[in-house]
Amino acid sequence: MKINFIFTFLIFNAIVFGQNSENLVPKDAASVFSINNISLFQKISLDELVKYEFMEEVQQELFDGSTSGKTLKETGFDFDQKFNVFYGNSDDYEVSGFTFGISDKKMLFEVFDDFQSMESEYPGVEFYISYFNRIAIKGNVGILYRVTPNDRYVNDITDSVWYANGNEYPWSDDYNYYDEGSDIWLENEAESMDPEFFEEMEIEENTSNPIEIEDEELPAAGADPTEKTYYEFRDSVELTLQLQFLKKVNDELFIEGKSLITEDIRFAAQVKKSSEGTFYIDNSRTIRKGYDIRYMSLHYPSLYNDLYEIYKDNVILGELALTDHSIEMRMDANYGDKLGSIYEKLTDTKFDKNFFKYVHAENSAFFTYRVNLRAAYEQAYKVIVPILEREAENTKDIAYSLLMLEIMDEFLNKDAIFDTYKGGMFATYNGIKKVKTTKVIFDYDDETFEYTEQTADAEEDMPIFTTGFATDRSDIASKLLSRFCKIAPNWTKHDAYIEIENGMLNAAPLYLIVNDGIFIITNDEELAINNPKGFGANSLGKATQKKAVKSGVAYSYIDLGKAIESLPKSLFSDRENQLIDVTRGKTGTLEFTSSGTSKNKTTFNLIYNFEGEYDSSGTYVLDLINSLYVIAK
Amino acid sequence: MKWNLIFAAILVVFSFSSCIEILDDLTLNNDGSGTFKYSINLSSSKVKVNSVLALDSLDGKKVPTIDEISAKIKAVVNDLKESNGISNVQMESNYTDFIFKLQFDFTSLKRLQEAILAIVKSETKNSNIKEIESRWLTFEDGKLVRSIPQITVEKANQFKKEDADLLKAGSYTSITRFEREIESFENPEAKQAKNNKAMMLRTNAYSLTQNPSILDNTIYLVKEE
Repeated sequence: MKINFIFTFLIFNAIVFGQNSENLVPKDAASVFSINNISLFQKISLDELVKYEFMEEVQQELFDGSTSGKTLKETGFDFDQKFNVFYGNSDDYEVSGFTFGISDKKMLFEVFDDFQSMESEYPGVEFYISYFNRIAIKGNVGILYRVTPNDRYVNDITDSVWYANGNEYPWSDDYNYYDEGSDIWLENEAESMDPEFFEEMEIEENTSNPIEIEDEELPAAGADPTEKTYYEFRDSVELTLQLQFLKKVNDELFIEGKSLITEDIRFAAQVKKSSEGTFYIDNSRTIRKGYDIRYMSLHYPSLYNDLYEIYKDNVILGELALTDHSIEMRMDANYGDKLGSIYEKLTDTKFDKNFFKYVHAENSAFFTYRVNLRAAYEQAYKVIVPILEREAENTKDIAYSLLMLEIMDEFLNKDAIFDTYKGGMFATYNGIKKVKTTKVIFDYDDETFEYTEQTADAEEDMPIFTTGFATDRSDIASKLLSRFCKIAPNWTKHDAYIEIENGMLNAAPLYLIVNDGIFIITNDEELAINNPKGFGANSLGKATQKKAVKSGVAYSYIDLGKAIESLPKSLFSDRENQLIDVTRGKTGTLEFTSSGTSKNKTTFNLIYNFEGEYDSSGTYVLDLINSLYVIAK
Repeated sequence: MKWNLIFAAILVVFSFSSCIEILDDLTLNNDGSGTFKYSINLSSSKVKVNSVLALDSLDGKKVPTIDEISAKIKAVVNDLKESNGISNVQMESNYTDFIFKLQFDFTSLKRLQEAILAIVKSETKNSNIKEIESRWLTFEDGKLVRSIPQITVEKANQFKKEDADLLKAGSYTSITRFEREIESFENPEAKQAKNNKAMMLRTNAYSLTQNPSILDNTIYLVKEE
């Protein structure tokens, strides 16, 4: 009897409180990053964590001082449960946040101390609110999330109601930003990027210092001052929509029992895996965000549906595994039959082993891919032309596009085009070398300080690159280059290569080599002048060659210590930097391989082998997850 | 990002040790009129300049094309041509070695400063730069007082600390020429030409940020007979 009672109690607990964190990931999430073994992250400080882009939606909460000096261990998170970061963008709203297990609710709200308890309409679910963020807790599982209506949707409804009520065009002509020339706009844009500019703005984190905006600057609904301005009305619409969409997400999660795990078996299977981290990116949904796609959906709905069909089942499923000195990422790019048929043809070719001759063994980074452009073109033509034909029946401009495509297909010499550029290529980065340049100096006369200009020798640092393209028609490339040498004064034909004087940024020579069925462009004197037939015994090591040949569509290798540190941060956008940051400040090698491509899947592997000891393996995993999040968002 | 952009990006960092050379050359006649020459020489950084020009944006800001730079220079030259007391405006732009030389005559130092001020105001969109109205050149009774316009110092101060090496590598040369011989001068760093009719001061932008008065000088000329 007693045993039966305990058994019943355990079953009851499992049903009521046994919810797993992944069960609360909303079904609208198009990308989810699940960290299985979050004990890895116990040592990571919260201040460090909130710097990641995937935490940006909630970071104003975590930046308020309540996290200072604390680690994830002190958040009350349950380290036996998964931590799932998600992001989704439907046609009408965005949903983002993370789900987690809870071991100590008191500790949790010491960190999330800005959240206030609110009334719950959902039995067994507690709700907390802070600005636009919500925390919902069901049993021992929590979700911190934000639902935001898409600007386009808010604008459409606002404008529709605004004009229907007889209001006038809300934007005053006095602003005239665009009429004053692009310089003004750029200046405003530059100003908006200045951190001080943001400090002056009223934002959630800065409500104590609101900025007073003069009423007359806002377009008013009418003469009556009690009426809402356009912006106030838009805010009301946005808030109403937000509550409506929030209710939809809550209803699905807490009444209908719908979440991503119940709606997509691919996610359900992936999240069950026991590796340190897994990820799920539904490209078929994220692709709809693009402006061109939306434009197409409005103007050519049937074409949109047909093309969208091609992207059906386009889901990336991946997992991260951590060993003592490496992180391995395995990624399955899944796609539907139609797209798969194109990919299959694209990769139906052999690797060009001649590439290896021109890659030095000491290169810092090496990248190659092999594709069969001709076969891929033919297959894409087979898939896309029937779709365009259907649309062309009713749409004149699609008919015109189809006509142009068919004319080109019939009359262009595809043999010459695709034999000249087959599709395979390689690129190497060989580090920085000094190159000889000239400079002008002012030479002063001591008698009068008058000066003359003198040309002097100089040296500048130059990164050394080599790029090569496979070709079956070396004769075409050679013939064209010979003619150029006759026409262009700075082109010189040598026995084994062609030199373009100042061809590299108007300062250093650029070399062209046609050999072994490869058209090579390089600024590496060592290759062009001393080794135009390849590096011989000093070419890429046999072991790396084998890996590259064995790899499917692509292979790349980067020596992080040599290559990545030379990439300057200031030259990349924030987004690009977030992708590169995964490798900055680290040593070791990064190797990217792929499997053969089947009709429904290509598998990619990224192995990061690092040297020496690392302080926190969690940081490496978070860096990688952040890069993936940025790509997927 | 395309390969060529990555290439350009890498180049910029490795070219930070290269330098910019600025030369201002003021010839002052006894009646206060004269000629002003201003040259910027980027020839020892042309790989870097070319690589920057290959980028769409740098540090979050749009990189102008050569056509845009050329148009901007032309606009400045046109503004100068229309300034009171300014004549013979000449501009040489060498986009191969990246050397830019501006030269014009002025009827008085007042007119020279007004013209430069108008250009600065126009280019900075009247932003609030301290002492923008102040005079940095005065010439009275055979005494020339020369300082560095505050805007130069403020612009130099806007460089990040990590760019110190870049600032140190560049040079700034200031030459002042007279019809009469120089009797004395106050800046001990200044160098006098052998014909006693010209002064030269050389420094780099880094030193200027550390000591804004490094190029200041008061020059006393021999009395007119």
